[in-house]
Amino acid sequence: MVKSQPIDKVKTCKRKSVQAFWQCSALFVLSALLALTINQFQTDRLALIGDWSVEGRLTTATGERLDIPLAEAEKLFTEKRAVFFDARSREEYESGHISGARSLPWHDVDQQFIEATEDISLDTAIITYCDGETCNLSHDLAMFLKAMGFSNVRVLVNGWTVWQESRLPVEKGNVFLDEG
Amino acid sequence: MKDNNEREANLTPKNRIQAEKNWNYRRILTLFARLMLGGIFIYASYDKIRHPAAFAKAVYNYQILPDGFINLTAIVLPWLELVLGSFLIIGFWLPGTVVICNLLLMTFTGALLFNMARGLDIGCGCFSTTAESAINFRTVLRDASFLIPAVYLFYDTFFSRNNPALNRDDDESSFKLHPRKENDQ
Repeated sequence: MVKSQPIDKVKTCKRKSVQAFWQCSALFVLSALLALTINQFQTDRLALIGDWSVEGRLTTATGERLDIPLAEAEKLFTEKRAVFFDARSREEYESGHISGARSLPWHDVDQQFIEATEDISLDTAIITYCDGETCNLSHDLAMFLKAMGFSNVRVLVNGWTVWQESRLPVEKGNVFLDEG
Repeated sequence: MKDNNEREANLTPKNRIQAEKNWNYRRILTLFARLMLGGIFIYASYDKIRHPAAFAKAVYNYQILPDGFINLTAIVLPWLELVLGSFLIIGFWLPGTVVICNLLLMTFTGALLFNMARGLDIGCGCFSTTAESAINFRTVLRDASFLIPAVYLFYDTFFSRNNPALNRDDDESSFKLHPRKENDQ
């Protein structure tokens, strides 16, 4: 009896593995069918293949483009007509940012939003930026600020990199907070 | 635990009762692991099912999948989580369910670690699609801790002779119902 145990155990494990294999496939198929069917019947259904290009991501539901060309951002900067918001983390902001930009890390936006925006009017031109083509922090921050009532919010895509590459003014440390 | 059967053959009646008791404890532990993991999966799926577009963005932010797969993943993954969670709780198709749960949790933990290592500043998108804290060591630890019940259930399903994880059909091989004692004598 004892001798036959290991064989039995291997058999059970094998049987379970075969079971697991078809069950895994069935689970995927079942979930996919369920998900796709329900998605089809939803009013705000998601396209099966989305447009995740820069243009696709930065166009709002109303067809408005959120991104701002560097030249335009530079013009607003030199004329001091726009407030820049750095959506990256506080550490990254402190190690270097666009001159005069304020730090508003997207992940702490709930705590820091009021402090960072209390002295600017709702129609002020705002430019948000982070770093990298695919960085979504600036985009998320821009959508948030729009929802909060700021009417003129734009995103400088890959802002920190393109700003440095154009050798535009940058600074280090916590300038905005020191002043405040 | 793993040599239950070999030991079983040599048990005195008193020890046998003890062994049956142990087996019952394991059954409870397994049930607890199933309910806990099932609850976690269902809870995790809820917000994602309600906000597929926001979840798609979270998936995009991870920068792991090619653009063409992002929406499909965002649509299907929450439902897969819901199905897995439900099946864990009701105890249906457990071998397959447990395998996918383990694979998913390992993938999630791996994706978190990968993006932490390359310094991406993104939301976790683990339980909530909105305003969730960034990925950090805590989110990795949390995901890794879910692997404890998952790996236990995996072991219990595939490598233990008496499978308390399994449903009635498999309970026939359970400790209590074994006619082994009679066979031995």
